[in-house]
Amino acid sequence: MMNILQTRLIHWKRQWVSLLFWLLFPIISTLLIIQLTSFIQEDSKVPVGIVLQEDTALATTLYESIKQTPLIRVHDLDEHEALAQLEKHQLDSVFVIHNGYEANIQKNSRNHLITSYRSDLSFAYTPVKEMIVSFVQQDTGRSKAAYIVKDLSDTYGGGQQWNWKDVVSKSVDIQKKEDLLRTTFSFTDGSPTASDDEVIQFKPWGLWALFSLLSTLLLFDWLIKENRLSILPRFAFIRISFKNYMLQNALFYTILCIIFDGLALLTFYFVIHEPISLGLIAAMLSYRIMLNAGAFVLAICFKNLYLYYSTSFALVLLFAISSGAIMPIDGIINRVPWVEFLNPIYPFLQNNVVNLWLLLFAVWIISWYVRKEKFDA
Amino acid sequence: MLNIDSLSKSYGKKTILDELSFSIEQGEIVGLVGENGAGKSTLLKTLATLQLPTMGTITLDGMSYGTQRKTVRKNIGFVPQEIAIWDEFTVEENMVFFEKLSWKKKNNTQLKQLCLDMNLEKWKDPVKTLSGGMKRKLNLAISLIHDPTLLLLDEPTVGIDLKSRKEIGNYLKNQAINNGRTILYTSHDMDEIIHLCDRVLCIGNDPFYQEILKDAEKDVIIM
Repeated sequence: MMNILQTRLIHWKRQWVSLLFWLLFPIISTLLIIQLTSFIQEDSKVPVGIVLQEDTALATTLYESIKQTPLIRVHDLDEHEALAQLEKHQLDSVFVIHNGYEANIQKNSRNHLITSYRSDLSFAYTPVKEMIVSFVQQDTGRSKAAYIVKDLSDTYGGGQQWNWKDVVSKSVDIQKKEDLLRTTFSFTDGSPTASDDEVIQFKPWGLWALFSLLSTLLLFDWLIKENRLSILPRFAFIRISFKNYMLQNALFYTILCIIFDGLALLTFYFVIHEPISLGLIAAMLSYRIMLNAGAFVLAICFKNLYLYYSTSFALVLLFAISSGAIMPIDGIINRVPWVEFLNPIYPFLQNNVVNLWLLLFAVWIISWYVRKEKFDA
Repeated sequence: MLNIDSLSKSYGKKTILDELSFSIEQGEIVGLVGENGAGKSTLLKTLATLQLPTMGTITLDGMSYGTQRKTVRKNIGFVPQEIAIWDEFTVEENMVFFEKLSWKKKNNTQLKQLCLDMNLEKWKDPVKTLSGGMKRKLNLAISLIHDPTLLLLDEPTVGIDLKSRKEIGNYLKNQAINNGRTILYTSHDMDEIIHLCDRVLCIGNDPFYQEILKDAEKDVIIM
């Protein structure tokens, strides 16, 4: 085994740049896409000026709610500055939360709580205004409900005395616990589609799985490059058969890939704060072995390098679409449920260690290995 | 000593080799000639254990090809007609690569000496920059790493310059005389065959080869 590793090192010495590139490709590409989409989303948010004239709890909560809304980039300014920026079209619209906002809501007064400004180039004014109005209505509605509860408590003299603050905070708690509005839009592994502050969110492990598929297929082109008809007779007169040579080298590639998978795990943990779990590590290991076994099986079926590359790209494209790694595929799976079982990436995205494709590839490789070698006459 | 007894090889209904019997002594260089398609490469591949004979028995130094195939292979050096080396490697890397997988261990000095013995001096040069003659020498050197007793060469000097041919020829002669290697050699170059070989095996009934060999003072076996 050491001797074969030494022969592999001779090959790697000549190919270290491309080898390193393809090994790092899944990590770098995933990080690039995640960072790039995050940057683009941030840059394409609508700039809205918020003028906060009081720092009461309700006013601050409203400000935070607006700030956390996707597609809006909030600028906290004073009124003069905000209007100046609006005139220069640096802001799409400006909303002034007036002094006395909380007091007015507590008094159940809904008039003149907020003043809004727009310019002739404001393109998102209406939806932003509607959104802020809905937040305000939520607060006023909650306040009104609190007064009613308090009145009922006072009138019918229950054992417990409720004040306005208690009712409001209880109402906020219930709202947080109960998902009043819910969509069925989800990724195949059941993870949430997006956090509150992002509209499009690629799943890092989904992207990594696809890029790893591509890089593994391209890394395994060595099987075609080294499967030269001219070299094959040499293997009849050395210690190891050509099949053994290929299998042991595939093992070295797998070990190398696993090392870089570990690097991906750590990089994603530290850079994009993806959690590490035993389940993920096991699924990743199973996925890696399946990938390398699959690439091995595919590569031994080809003699022509360019045909192999074309097939590899086509497969990656097919699996990218059908795996749910990038786009949600609920619609497809609801209609054609077996699609998910046919996709080799799917078990990994489900954190599943058992992968039917791995078994299939293993059987394939064993049957290929036991078949008589051409020069083993 | 290589012994071939009633060797036949057929592909389907087509018989390529028909009951050939001959033997080659240790340290003997035997040339194998014949027109294209006469069965030279088939015979060589069969003797190299790369093909099974349809009938007949072959033994090398008493070891049977039928029952001791693996052991027989350890004693065979096969030089294919196509240059079987890694083009992207240097001469050194090629030698080290095949030594690592070889039955016999050799250090770098021994490997380098093997190349120097046949005037292959460009140890650190990439193979793709070498001349055809140099590549042929390397092709031969790799086949000798495990010190085989039987050397089978399939047109080892095809397409190379005269100087390299002479150097390869002298090297082979030296190997037969000094190291007692048994050599079976195919070539279309009759001058080379006559000059190099102790005996000539002529496959097929082409009178052209028989006519040329008639004048040569060589032991000729027509099969």
